[in-house]
Amino acid sequence: MLILSRKSGESIIIDGHIHVKIVRVEGDVVKLGIEAPSSVPVHRKEVYEVIQRSNQQALMKQPLPLPKLAGAPKVAPKTNLPKP
Amino acid sequence: MKCAETIELETPVIPTATNAVRIPTGLLGFEQIKEYVLIAKPGEEPFAWLQVQDNSALAFVVIDPFMVLPEYQPDIPTTDVEFLGLKNSDDALLLGIVTVHSATKATVNLKGPIVVNRHTHIAKQIIIMNAADYSIEHPLPLAETVA
Repeated sequence: MLILSRKSGESIIIDGHIHVKIVRVEGDVVKLGIEAPSSVPVHRKEVYEVIQRSNQQALMKQPLPLPKLAGAPKVAPKTNLPKP
Repeated sequence: MKCAETIELETPVIPTATNAVRIPTGLLGFEQIKEYVLIAKPGEEPFAWLQVQDNSALAFVVIDPFMVLPEYQPDIPTTDVEFLGLKNSDDALLLGIVTVHSATKATVNLKGPIVVNRHTHIAKQIIIMNAADYSIEHPLPLAETVA
C-alpha cells in the first residue's frame, strides 16, 4: 500500500483525473473532497460492502419459483421500455 | 406437486432489444457484468428478472420499490442523475433487488436501487443519499401458502 503524508488543503491525483483533497482534519476525522468523473463510482467502503454482500446473496443461479406477494397490485416493472 | 418439472419445461424467454439494459459500472460486487436483459414472466408479477445477457442462468429478481413502499423517497446524487442523463423523474425506472431467502422470506434492498433511464436503457446501482432511512433487507409481505 502506498502511504503518503498530506496536510490539510493538499491533494493527490490518481490516474490524472481523480482528485482527492484533504479538506479538514479534526481529531480522528479526516474530511476528504473527491473529484472524479461520473463514470467512476466512489463509495464509503462499509456501505459498499453491505450492498455488495446483499447483491451476492440476491443472485439467483437457478430460475426458482418466486413467492407470491400479499396484497400488492399485480403489476410488474415496465419491461417494455421505449427504444433508445 | 410438479414444480421442478414445470420450471424445466418452461420455454426459454428470448431477450429482445427493447428490454436490454446496460449497466456501465456494473452492480456492486459484479462490476465486470455490464449487459443485462429485463424480463417479466406472466404470473410472476409484480416481480421481474434482471438476467445477465450472456448467461441466462445468472439473474436477479427485481421489483418496483414503490410497490413495496409507496412513500419511498430515494435521494439520488446529482452526479448520478447527470451520469444517467435523467431530465425529470419520469425518465427513471427504479428496480429494487430482491433476495429470496426461503419460501416464506423475501426482502428488497432499498438502500441501493438500480436506476434505469427509460429512454437510453442505461442503468446504475445507486447508493441513495438517504440510505440510512431505508433497510437493505426491507421485508416483502408474502402471501400465505395455500395449504
